[in-house]
This record gives sequence, structure tokens and C-alpha cells, in this order.
Amino acid sequence: MPRALWPLHHGRPCIEVVLTLTASGQNMSRVLLADTGAGTVQSPFQLVLDEDDCLLCGGFSYVSVTIRGAYSGAFPMYDLPVRIPALGFDEAHRVAAVANPPAGFDGIACFNFLNRFTYGNFGDAGQFGLEA
Amino acid sequence: MTPTQSIPEINRALAEQINREARANPQSPYANKFVGIANGQVVVVADTPEELSRRLRQIEPDPKKCFAVEASRDYSIVEEIWRIV
Repeated sequence: MPRALWPLHHGRPCIEVVLTLTASGQNMSRVLLADTGAGTVQSPFQLVLDEDDCLLCGGFSYVSVTIRGAYSGAFPMYDLPVRIPALGFDEAHRVAAVANPPAGFDGIACFNFLNRFTYGNFGDAGQFGLEA
Repeated sequence: MTPTQSIPEINRALAEQINREARANPQSPYANKFVGIANGQVVVVADTPEELSRRLRQIEPDPKKCFAVEASRDYSIVEEIWRIV
């Protein structure tokens, strides 16, 4: 089974996803905080990203979602193609769009995204990874 | 629909109407489906968000003209993202 591992980022677990700019076709890597405390398995969104990334990378709108906690209020939601090349993962996901991602990160990989995979440090305390 | 409404506004209003109807009537053809709207019309009814995304992007490649709703979902539910202290 393919596995991808990333070094902890600011001492926190993270994953790296690839988005594609619609206008140029250029790929952009985004480092996301891997946060099992973000949402539930029933949440309508799997990721949190900067709204500019959603708009520039071909996101189309869903009905907006209301969030509390680290973010508070109604937030736009988009369907956005997301890739993790090391896993051969290439799927559209629903993304809650915010103006200010968590400090030091480009967004959040929420529980119901991480929960699609086997996730953890796989025996290395300095890394976090996903296994498809 | 009013003459001054933009495509995104028309799409959003239709999505909200579909969700209201699906929540009120479980027999609605849209109940528990993922519904894709393009240019003010329903163009995709899918069982999964992945299928919806694939088909809606094929039908209308311009994302600004597209909109989607998970019909029957209660969008008034507040989702929690734990705050990092």
C-alpha cells in the first residue's frame, strides 16, 4: 500500500497536497495541518483552505457552511480537485474557504479527510503520514 | 428569478430551493442526492460528491457558472473546528 510521510511542521502533524492553477496549469503545493479535531466524520467539508486557492484552482461553489471554534461564522464551500501524488490520490473534495488559514500552514486537513486513510507517525515520532 | 440576478445568484437560489424542498419532502427526486446546477438549471443528480464533481465539470467547465448542493443536508448545523491554543 502506498504511504506518504511528511516531517512535522512547526512541531505539528501535516500533509502536503497539490492544487493546480486553472489559468496556467501550474501546480502549487499546500501544507495542511493534519487536525483530527477539525469537524466530524459527518461534516460536509474535508479540507479548509484559503478562498483564493479555491477560486484560482477551479473550485465551484456549494451551499455555505457554518463553523465555530477556530473559525466562527458562515463560510463559502467549494468543490476542488486535490492531489497527493505520492499516494496516487487525485479526487475532488469539498473545502471550507477561509480568509486566514492557521498560522504557519496553508489550511487544514480535517478529520473526515484523514479518516479516509490510515494515518499516524508509522513509528517515526518526527513525521506524520498517510497510507492509502 | 429577477432580471437583475447574476448566474451565481440564480444558481444559489435554486440550490437553496431544492434543499428546502428535499428536506420538506423525502419523496423528492433530489432527496439525499448531490445536485449540480449550471447556468440556473439542474444538470446533474448524483449519488456521491465525486460523481457530481466529475459530471458537472464535464457539462460546464467554467466553475463560476456552477453550483452544488447536498440535498436534504441540514446546513444550519454548526461544524466545529477545535481551536489551537
